[in-house]
Formats: sequence, structure tokens, C-alpha cells
Amino acid sequence: MTDPVAARPSLAAGGAFPDLALPDHAGNARTLSELVAGDPAVLQFYRGWWCPKEQAFFRRLLALQDEAEVAYCRIISVSVDPPPVTAAFRAGLGARWTFLCDPDRTEQERVGLRETTDTVNDPYVPAVFTLAPDLTIHAAYNGYWFWGRPTNEELRQDLRAITRAIRPDWDAPTP
Amino acid sequence: MTASWCWLTLGDDAPAGATAAAPAWDAATGESAGWLALWARRAKPSRDARRVDGRLLDRDGAPAHVSLVRPRPGVRLLFDDLAVQQARRDVLARPPQDAVSTLLSDASHFEGAITVARGAGVARLADDPFARVFPRRLLRVGAGVLGSVPAPAGPTIERYGSAQPWPWDRFA
Repeated sequence: MTDPVAARPSLAAGGAFPDLALPDHAGNARTLSELVAGDPAVLQFYRGWWCPKEQAFFRRLLALQDEAEVAYCRIISVSVDPPPVTAAFRAGLGARWTFLCDPDRTEQERVGLRETTDTVNDPYVPAVFTLAPDLTIHAAYNGYWFWGRPTNEELRQDLRAITRAIRPDWDAPTP
Repeated sequence: MTASWCWLTLGDDAPAGATAAAPAWDAATGESAGWLALWARRAKPSRDARRVDGRLLDRDGAPAHVSLVRPRPGVRLLFDDLAVQQARRDVLARPPQDAVSTLLSDASHFEGAITVARGAGVARLADDPFARVFPRRLLRVGAGVLGSVPAPAGPTIERYGSAQPWPWDRFA
């Protein structure tokens, strides 16, 4: 039998992020690769709706949303909150991206992102990854301390670099 | 079919040659609304046919309720019109339906939308964001034409190529 801890993937830049399979905020079965589709993506793990640091960071992501919606980039947020809670939180935020729900903590165990210091909520440890369409990790940010989280400028730089790498027409076609 | 879109028509008679078709009824009155058909071919089957996401086509699809938004003849809006942009945002912000696709016939104009609902989603069809842009009809459509499509992954509201209906979600 495989040791689940030893089998955990490296979540460092250059590694391949596991293709998560979880229900979304509406309860539909989704996979990470399906949500990323062919675009650069920001994958965010957050503790839960109740955490003031998460609320502050979501306000940051919301400020990026208008740019992402025209720049062919995805945002995906993941927590242990169940779909009804997640749907209400998402609607209250005004987020237009997909949230994934891991109330059974199945994918949390697989990727090893459990916050061990919170034994009450047993949440994901806050983390942000920028991903290429094939789920290769471009950058990883440890958000346990708030200042470890990416600024929107860092996210823009990451998304620019990924987009430049994957779009063959990055250098605009001209006469 | 490898194309990402197909043609949609709503006509009076059972269409000959359609890839899939089913009778439709007005959801409120139960009166016949004709036949809703999808055509997986490049040639336009009729003058009023419009392109939709090809993933809607499912000959094994269950009966469905549909919000069909169409402009009056001679009317259309640019896809980049602010009202159309906001309708796309509103679709992403709400719980997903079984399928949604914009309708178009060229590279720049929005010419309506179709939203497919089943089960609990039927009640939410009454508030279709696209119905704020153009008139709509609420229909019941028989089995064998409309499938389910994974909800669009936000927050992208742009089309992936100007010939593609939104929310087709990749450059391919």
C-alpha cells in the first residue's frame, strides 16, 4: 500500500499540480483541468468564509477579476466549506469564478495542504498557485502569514509570463 | 463533428435533415411552439438559423425547459455592448444551469441566447440575464436534442475566437 504522505506531489514551481476532482459551489462534479481549460490560472486555497485574512485576500482577488475576465485567465478557489456555504459566500463576495468544495477533505489529504494548527475547523492552509494550462506550477505562494500571499502585481506578472509562454501569437501579428 | 458550434433553428414544421430535433411548446400556455432543431454542419440550414455551442447537441438529451432569447427581426447588438457584457457576468455570478450558449451569425454581433434548465433550475429560468437584452420565450422542449454542458469556468467573459459562441472555453 502506498504511503499517502510519501506519495504527495511536490507543490513547488515546475511541478505538476494534481488534477483535483471536487464538487463546485453548485454541487456539480468538476476537475481542476476542466476549469483551467486552456488558460493560465490562479488556484487559491483558503481557510473558510469566517477568516478575516481570507476576506481581505478575496477583496484583492475581486480587484483582479475584471482584468481576468477579459484576459483569458481563470481563478479557482478551494476550501473545506460545503457547497451551500460556499455558494452563499461567493455570491456575497460578487465573485464570478468557480469555487471548489472539499468538506470530506479528500483532496486536502492528497495534496497535503491541511492547516495543522487549526484543529477546530481543520481547514486548508492558505496557499496560492499560478498554473499553466497543463497544471504545471509557475509559482507557489505560502499564505499562512498574510504577507506570504501574492500581491495582484505579482499575480499579473505570473499571468503575463504564462500567457507569453503559451500563446504563439504573443508578438502581435502585424503587416 | 469537430467544430465547436452547430446551428439552431426554431421552425413550424419538423425539420428534414436536422442532426437532432424535438417539438417545443410554450411553457406557460402549452401551445405548440414548433420544432427546435440543431444542425451539425457547416452550411446554414435556413435564413434564421444561428450558431450555438456545439456541446448543446445531444440526441440522448432529456426533455428540458428553455429560455430562448432572440432579437426582433432586423435588430442586433455588438457582442461588446455593455449590456451584453453585463449579462455574461451575471450568468457567471449565478448558480449554473444545464447549458447556456449565446446565438450568433457573424463575428461581432450578439443575436440572442439559449439557456437550458432541468429540475430545480427551471424556476430560475424566469430571471435569465440575457432576457434583459432582448425578448425571450420560455419553452418546453422534448427529448432527444439538448444535452447538459459543464458550467462556464469564470471569470472569462470573452469569446475564444470571434466566430465562437460564448462560453466556449478554449482556443481550439
